[in-house]
Amino acid sequence: MSLRVGVVGAGAFGRGIAQASVRQGHDVVLWSRQDRELPDPIRASTDIADMRDRELIFLAVPARHAVDVAEQLGEAVDGRHSIVHVSRGLIGAELQTITQVIREKTVCRRLGALAGPLVADALAEGRPSGAILGTGFPELTDLVREALGGAGLRIYETRDVVGVELASATVGFLTVVLAYAQEVGVGPSTLAVLATRGMVEVSRIGQTLGAKESTFMGLAGLGDLIAAVAGDHRPEFRLGRALAQGAKLTSAVGEAGAYVEGIEVARHLMEHARRLGLPTPISSTFVAVTEGGMSSEAAIEALMERQVGKE
Amino acid sequence: MFKRFLSERPLRLPHIKPYVPRPSDPSIFWFNSERDDIVSEVVNRICTAHESDRGLLEVALNDAAFHEIRRLEKQRDEEARDRLGYWRSMIRHIGKMDDTEQRRVLHAIVTTMTRDVAGNFDPRVYRFARRAVPRLIGGVMEPRRLMAAAPELLERVLKVEGDLEHLRQLQSEGSLVFVPTHSSNLDSIVLSQALEISGLPPTIYGAGKNLFTNPIISFFMHNLGAYRVDRRIRVSLYKDILKLYSQVMIERGYHSLFFPAGTRSRSGMIERRLKLGLLGSAVEAFTTNQVRRVDRPVWFVPTTINYALVLEAETLVKDWLMEEGQARYIIEDDEFSQIDRWFAFFRKMVGMRGACIIRFGEPIDPFGNRVGPGGQSLTPTGRTIDPGGYVEQRGKPVVDAVRDAAYTRELGEVLGQRFEQDTVLMSTQVVAHVLFRDLVQSTPGMDLFARLRLRGEIGLDREALHQELGEARDRLVALEAKGRVRTSEVVKEDTPAELLERALSFWNGYHDSTAATLEGERVVLGDPALLLYYQNRLVPFAEDIASPEQLQAACEIEKLGVHR
Repeated sequence: MSLRVGVVGAGAFGRGIAQASVRQGHDVVLWSRQDRELPDPIRASTDIADMRDRELIFLAVPARHAVDVAEQLGEAVDGRHSIVHVSRGLIGAELQTITQVIREKTVCRRLGALAGPLVADALAEGRPSGAILGTGFPELTDLVREALGGAGLRIYETRDVVGVELASATVGFLTVVLAYAQEVGVGPSTLAVLATRGMVEVSRIGQTLGAKESTFMGLAGLGDLIAAVAGDHRPEFRLGRALAQGAKLTSAVGEAGAYVEGIEVARHLMEHARRLGLPTPISSTFVAVTEGGMSSEAAIEALMERQVGKE
Repeated sequence: MFKRFLSERPLRLPHIKPYVPRPSDPSIFWFNSERDDIVSEVVNRICTAHESDRGLLEVALNDAAFHEIRRLEKQRDEEARDRLGYWRSMIRHIGKMDDTEQRRVLHAIVTTMTRDVAGNFDPRVYRFARRAVPRLIGGVMEPRRLMAAAPELLERVLKVEGDLEHLRQLQSEGSLVFVPTHSSNLDSIVLSQALEISGLPPTIYGAGKNLFTNPIISFFMHNLGAYRVDRRIRVSLYKDILKLYSQVMIERGYHSLFFPAGTRSRSGMIERRLKLGLLGSAVEAFTTNQVRRVDRPVWFVPTTINYALVLEAETLVKDWLMEEGQARYIIEDDEFSQIDRWFAFFRKMVGMRGACIIRFGEPIDPFGNRVGPGGQSLTPTGRTIDPGGYVEQRGKPVVDAVRDAAYTRELGEVLGQRFEQDTVLMSTQVVAHVLFRDLVQSTPGMDLFARLRLRGEIGLDREALHQELGEARDRLVALEAKGRVRTSEVVKEDTPAELLERALSFWNGYHDSTAATLEGERVVLGDPALLLYYQNRLVPFAEDIASPEQLQAACEIEKLGVHR
């Protein structure tokens, strides 16, 4: 039975989802602010009310637009709808997740966060890939598998929604750190230590916000980070390299070619950790490098000098 | 023997001239005529769910026998002598029973347990209690005026806040489920009075069987619609019965009350982690009615019960600090069972203005949405939506236990937030917070337990304290303006000096230990554990009401609530 799928946002990811859905034979409407040409049979719309008769809606807008778009969407949806977002960001100093925003701005409760090493191209072209869906509603997992699925896409499920969202948001930041380290000539072994300890650092903070450690070590966290380092051409990676080559943060962000939320997220996470007295050696050192002008040599030295503890 | 007889078989009034309910009476007045029907509906639904699968049936019987034998062996009382033989013999024969025999045994066990749970409602007892309880409380204060001014006294002690008119409108349109915070065993009594003086209907509620050990309380509770919950019984069938009983009652339109935190807050903190069992039963009641096309909505009323003085404060905080909350889930030897403490407590409460505030929050539907005056579910911008949509799959309402469990978790989250927003901070809590924060600030690096040993060792300048109190109060009032929390009238109106004196006079003379004393121009901290208990109500707001110098101490206090 064909599903009525809605996609909000016409970025690469939104279009990838729409293409994957039509390939599965579903009826797809894609909403964006501006009128767009879309390949048949995807229907383009600029009227959010067109989401009203959709069963499953994918929200594929950057985190900084999420509040605005969720508010508009709130006028079109009700308890019948299911919404899944694919954003990698968090909102504000309160580290509000996108599902929390959707819950606040709409009356939808069947919500999910789709994350992990899934990239737009793979979705659009139907290449084998995998993802993780954080949701409290198993029926939603079935819907998403039906909408995007097919033999080539493995969608795993977890109830730890906040864990998926936090892991996904912090991978962006860790990607910048690793790209930076790689560019300044750090070897594979040191990179591995940075990646692993970085993940431990963010997972410790995540746990205070209700996330599970295991989620950080799964597809939403380490899995996604491996994809980023293996070279899936993320803007965060370009940003890290540009910073290592001596660019200032603002111009490096421009060079990366997309708005990168990772640095902002890291700053807010550090502030939260500071309030709770949690150590954040890697995040703090990196912010000192990008904003305080600390040299890469001094940064590595500062990290290496720290006392070694238990894993 | 007599006591046990009463607790096993609560007394009922003889059926001479029974009350015939009028159509305008609240739903619970019809309970007695429906009681048998409700019991058999619960029994049938439970048995049907188990009978279709022999494996499931056998597991249920084995589980019941195993847990009951374990409980009774531990109890070693008369009940054990009566029942242990039955269960031991049963567990030996389960495997040999044929299907019919197993079903018969299941039916018998479920029927006995459901009958034990089901309450009673006697309108005569209800009418008597309506008049008697305020007078009893008044009588404690001034025995000579036992019959005269009691209702006014009660009104002075108990203040009810909230949009009562809205709730009164909703009561005839669907089932109201009151979900209050839980600090004291007095809560259900205080809340029934609050419903009564607000013109709201009486509710059914589950009360721990331990509360039925006092024959007088047992009589009233049993005849006022309370159903009995024996927390010692670990049998999974029993848990199913409790949930289903609550669900069937809500499905049938009975207004209901349960404490979603499950037990009294040991720490004094506002509850965040709620037990979802009974909450889920109300959500499932909504779904079942939708599937059966019965148009009877269910609304939740988040309610906060705010005491300036908590009857059992000392026992509760001790229990929290011992970190044995789980082991002592049922406390039977606290202040609630000591009649002299009741007297001391009520004398103190009646003597002070605004000692207890019940706040009925804005009602919400099972999915956390606001509810309009006519009972319609509303979006944040005020658009009306159909709550039935939440239980639809591909256009049809369906029962889906896993989905409803997810809705229940979400509802639990919403209630946790609403408890915070609707908490009314009382004088003692604000004063305790400022005193405890000073204690933390003056003992940097010390751990909690070391701080709790500092009895009578920390003295604070009274003037400086007044200033801190004034600042903390102003910041709380600013938070109130943003809708984060509420403060009582006395907190808003008192001068800082009055606030301090008010809190001290609440504590001193009631609690065994002294929270703090005035010594000339100094305020000396007495028992930090008592201060900790009262100040814990402010844990979520500690950082917001601290000055930059107090921030470090406030963060430490806020950390206490991480696992709340």
